[in-house]
Amino acid sequence: MMTKGILLFCFDTEHTRYHKILERCVHLIKKNLKLPVTVVTNFSTFKSIEPLGFVNYKFIEPELGNTKLGKPWNNVDRHLAYELSPYDITLVMDIDYFCFSDNLAQLFDTDYDFLVPDQAYDLSGRNSFDHRRFSIIPMVWATVLLFKKSPRVERIFQMVKYVKQWYPHFAELYRIKVKNLRNDYVFAIALQQVNGFVGYQTFPFALSTLPPDCEIVQFTDKGLAWKHQDKINFIENHDVHVLNKEIADV
Amino acid sequence: MDIRELKKQSDLSYDIAIAKRNALEKAHSRQVLAYNGNLFRADPETICVVRTLKENSSKFFILDTNNNPVEISDAEDFLARLIERNQEALNAYHQMYETFTKKGE
Repeated sequence: MMTKGILLFCFDTEHTRYHKILERCVHLIKKNLKLPVTVVTNFSTFKSIEPLGFVNYKFIEPELGNTKLGKPWNNVDRHLAYELSPYDITLVMDIDYFCFSDNLAQLFDTDYDFLVPDQAYDLSGRNSFDHRRFSIIPMVWATVLLFKKSPRVERIFQMVKYVKQWYPHFAELYRIKVKNLRNDYVFAIALQQVNGFVGYQTFPFALSTLPPDCEIVQFTDKGLAWKHQDKINFIENHDVHVLNKEIADV
Repeated sequence: MDIRELKKQSDLSYDIAIAKRNALEKAHSRQVLAYNGNLFRADPETICVVRTLKENSSKFFILDTNNNPVEISDAEDFLARLIERNQEALNAYHQMYETFTKKGE
């Protein structure tokens, strides 16, 4: 019997209380996916997390130095997912991806050893993610990825580490416009390299995403409402990736 | 002509259009079905292909969402699952659609 579970990474920064986002994320996973959860965090973040029921914690010190919009962004430890996961089949998720449905659960019932989304859907109706090919390689969305422990997947993660180590070189090679390290590009490059430059298996749906300028005005167990240009919209029973980090304060 | 009233109507129409679009996207995501270790989309095309192939043989091969070939050995069960998932997704979409239609009247 293969073990299955969710792996999350969470590190507070001086600007963002990511642990508040984590608490919501874990609550929804338990409610809708009903799978074991492991949180990779550091001790100072752990001390702030409210009791979440049975959750497995792994402590590491995050690698510092990466930034987003001039603020610290501790997100470069994703390459450790393979060795940190205690499960045979793991779904790695960003903590700002909220599972308001059980849609991801069925991915565990497949024979795929590695699956990643390559499309995002803009819930604000502006198709703002259709023009994000600011490189000569199509980006994947490492927001959510499924992997099964196997020699092939171990090689993918070894390549992820290699790409991360030499990221400035790869960023030049693939003419990536953004200069900070993005897991989306690290995984896209690693997958392309390991798969002989001929593509890889992807999710059969786009990740529904709310751009950073959409302010979350309500958050419930069923869904969320957001405000954009004085208009309020909402969605229920559908998974959403929220890019506005002020959700920690909603 | 009251331009403010027209602007209000335009805003409402836009909001409803976005909400319908999102509800349709939700339905598309919900149509994904894991079966026999592979992923399929429970859309009209897959349902029609499975139904057509089933008429010829109870066992056949079909491509999953990543173009991997999959042998279907119980066509009856597969078709029933596809239709169930398709209708579950569209039923939810229909309910949302009705809500927005009423809102726009």
